[in-house]
Amino acid sequence: MSKRRPYVRSMDGWWKKNPFYVEYMVHEGTALFVAAYAFTLLVGLVRLGQGEAAWTAWLEALKSPFSLVFHAVFLVAIVYHAFTWFKLFPLTMPPIIVNGKKVGPGVVVGSGWTAAVVAALALLGLVWRIAA
Amino acid sequence: MSDTKKIIEIEVLRYNPESDKEPHLEVYKVPFTDDMSVLQGAQYIKDNFDGSLTFRWSCRMAICGSCGMMINGIPKLSCETFLRDYYPNRIRIEAMAHFPIEKDLVVDLSGFIEKLESIQPYIIPKEPRTLEQGEYLQTPEEFNKYIQFTSCINCTLCYAACPQVGLNPDFIGPAAIALLHRYNMDSRDGASEQRMELVASEEGVYNCSAVGYCSEVCPKHVDPGNAVNVNKINAAKDYFLRFLSPKGGSK
Amino acid sequence: MEIFKADVVIVGGGGAGLRAAIAVAESDPKLKIALVSKVYPMRSHTVAAEGGAAGVKKPTDSLDYHFHDTVGGGDWLCEQDVVEYFVKQAPVELTQLEHWGCPWSRTEDGHVNVRAFGGMKIERTWFAADKSGFHILHTLFQTSIKYPSIKRFDEHFCVDLLEEDGRCQGIVAIEMGTGEFMMIEAKSVIIATGGAGRVFRESTLGGIVTGDGMALAFRHGVALRDMEFVQYHPTCMPVTGLLFTEACRGEGGYLVNKDGYRYLQDYGLGPLQDKPKNKYMELGPRDRLSQAFWYEQQKGRTIEHPTLGSVVHLDLRHLGEAYLRERLPLIYEMAETFMGIDPAKEMIPVRAGVHYTMGGIKVDGKCAASLGGLYAIGECSSVGIHGANRLGSNSLTEIVVFGKLAGDEAAKYVKSAAPGNSSSLLKQAQAIEQRVMALKTKTGGTERISVIRKEMAQSMEDGCGIFRTEDTMQATCDKLAELRERFKNISIDDKSSVWNTDWLMAVELDYQLDVAQAMAHSAINRKESRGAHQRLDGPNEAYKQRDDVNFLKHSEAYYVPGSAPRIAYGDVKITKSQPAARVYGAAGEKADQERKASNV
Repeated sequence: MSKRRPYVRSMDGWWKKNPFYVEYMVHEGTALFVAAYAFTLLVGLVRLGQGEAAWTAWLEALKSPFSLVFHAVFLVAIVYHAFTWFKLFPLTMPPIIVNGKKVGPGVVVGSGWTAAVVAALALLGLVWRIAA
Repeated sequence: MSDTKKIIEIEVLRYNPESDKEPHLEVYKVPFTDDMSVLQGAQYIKDNFDGSLTFRWSCRMAICGSCGMMINGIPKLSCETFLRDYYPNRIRIEAMAHFPIEKDLVVDLSGFIEKLESIQPYIIPKEPRTLEQGEYLQTPEEFNKYIQFTSCINCTLCYAACPQVGLNPDFIGPAAIALLHRYNMDSRDGASEQRMELVASEEGVYNCSAVGYCSEVCPKHVDPGNAVNVNKINAAKDYFLRFLSPKGGSK
Repeated sequence: MEIFKADVVIVGGGGAGLRAAIAVAESDPKLKIALVSKVYPMRSHTVAAEGGAAGVKKPTDSLDYHFHDTVGGGDWLCEQDVVEYFVKQAPVELTQLEHWGCPWSRTEDGHVNVRAFGGMKIERTWFAADKSGFHILHTLFQTSIKYPSIKRFDEHFCVDLLEEDGRCQGIVAIEMGTGEFMMIEAKSVIIATGGAGRVFRESTLGGIVTGDGMALAFRHGVALRDMEFVQYHPTCMPVTGLLFTEACRGEGGYLVNKDGYRYLQDYGLGPLQDKPKNKYMELGPRDRLSQAFWYEQQKGRTIEHPTLGSVVHLDLRHLGEAYLRERLPLIYEMAETFMGIDPAKEMIPVRAGVHYTMGGIKVDGKCAASLGGLYAIGECSSVGIHGANRLGSNSLTEIVVFGKLAGDEAAKYVKSAAPGNSSSLLKQAQAIEQRVMALKTKTGGTERISVIRKEMAQSMEDGCGIFRTEDTMQATCDKLAELRERFKNISIDDKSSVWNTDWLMAVELDYQLDVAQAMAHSAINRKESRGAHQRLDGPNEAYKQRDDVNFLKHSEAYYVPGSAPRIAYGDVKITKSQPAARVYGAAGEKADQERKASNV
């Protein structure tokens, strides 16, 4: 009879034991904020569909201190979400070969950010013009 | 030579299956010089304090992959981790996470070996070639597609890093998938399709949630996390292309 | 006791053992193969080999050149018919590795590239960056998984051979994970357990290189041949002994002393060269370069480093970071990690360290030992290709050429071998179990194995170093005899069964003491200097010279229980290359031309 008695350690609280895992849980957690904000926008859309009175009330509600704090938190969470999402590009994307050399991680991440910022500015500009 | 050597406290997670109910920590005061690795610290304990301290090691130069341990909770190769970087604080060494402990710092690696063997880690040639015909030609461009993934020394630090492996021990895991990818990307091999089944299976790449710690701890810069995630794309392509052509679309 | 029946059992899962297993499996898929290794195969020390594997490749090269380089490199102590076989099979086996996926470094047009290496006339060293052994081992291990007839017994420690009726009929091993003994009955046994360099203090070798198979064959009456020839590699990391590959020099690195002077030009390896020139300067053979280090040290021209001791400098700065990172990535990282040195900016302190055991289990040109059914391959064997000094990159080729040969031979042998007497073998195995268990369970001892091990290693370095005298070697022989006695009084801390490395390291120390004695006694009896065995003594300093009259012979050490080994001598097989002066550099080129002119 073998004298082996392999000991299996518990995975309870695994994510608390290493700063790398804590950060992982935080950035995964920001997805909840993305979902919450999407829900907020959805509510806005519904209010728009319910007529001018509802829409105006909605806009007023958005200006409340409660709402402003929420939106500040959403902004921080979603920017961090975007930051970590781009940071993961070198992990999640296949290698990009330009002129026989693999494009470095800095360039990959930088390109992602650049594209995102350009798109955001373009959209903001478009909306501004429409509003004006 | 100075005779007042510095002393560092090494705390070791000990476990003797024949006498211990569970692992427990013990502290040893080890005199050291700046060039000493954690492995040499463990050897000092074994030679001078307790011959029963058990750990795997061999090459001392981070190429054999034997000496992986958790050092202050982080998976590292003990032969290339140095005591001077922790002094004067106490350093804690434990068996690699996510594996059952056999004794002290030795874990049961049989599951890992089975996973490596399951992926058909050998060339299944795309085209036959006799030895008389000489070597397959492989351009530097073709070479660069897979060479990074050949560097894996099977040290299993990536398994100790991956929480998904810890939560689901059936997940074939980073190194096995990196090796699978190495063969798929080698221009001489023609068996990506055969390997796809395992990639897309319950034990395959979809267990990965892009924690990325595997690539962070890999001592040989293999980037196994990339191999896993790229194969998510491959598995998805294969799945959808199956509707178009009965043989599937891999490679 | 668990009993497993196989046709062929292979002890050692490194490059040679794996290649032999594959050869048996391909030769006849119905044969049952047991591959036994005390570590997982990818941990075998083949993994640490860096530079490459030699095999004729360029159209300007020839089998003849490779042959002459090897025989001259071995100071004419090679079995020349075996060398002829070796150089012929080399390119075949290296191509086979490529077909199996080995990522040899390539030229721009996609062919396998070759690099210059010490003592080689033309570039013929196939290489995979500076991790050639790593890539070869992983290729072989992964390929071996294809063959269902290979059953691996990973982390099983072989403690003895089973011998009956003049044949080797199996082995006894400890399953390390449980501490239980098991027996493998087989019609043929192939030993591929590697070298024994850990008997020395400072070496490139991993902890597992303890001469296990050598000691086992030795104790069963097989001669250990040419054990006095131990290779010092000229460029090792001081203190740790870790290897900086010869390829550093092949790619153009210099060795300089404390005055920044490339001192090798003073030792018959000149004249000075700007670029690496085969068989000149830093591309001379390893024994000559290590001996030059020793002479520089005597002259006070080495650098006396405050913590590292006597060193010389390996200068790679002129190669530039990009080239170094591409061609020598592993050693770049080693210099950075272990020494905090950037080789593109600073010179690397190095010195000679023990690296390879030229000698080993005496086998014939078909890898067969004197005991029926027993074969030996790789560093643990002496098949006759290295002679008194091995050329770099010949040993990675050796493992695949002779791994294949031994596998084929063993597969043939078992077809006509009669089955053994299982119950008699089991009784033997049980006696072995008792003996080895007693080592663990006995009480009352006062010696620690780590102390005996360190004293052995220090003594071997002192007495059987690069240069030897009667006095130094005698002191070592005496010390080893003392340590043998003291070994009887050891006490092992760990009395458990599961994963008892305390106990297994004691068994390894037992093996090492036997092998060390074979080395020391072979050395003291060879009254000449040849290759890696260099003496400073003798009447009128006679032993400083090579003596082809009396010592153009192999030494053969035979085990004598409880006593020093008996040293005998055997003939050297000479075919095409008559012993000549061993010269390199300009003198070597002149000798080559003269030989060509006289059409030898």
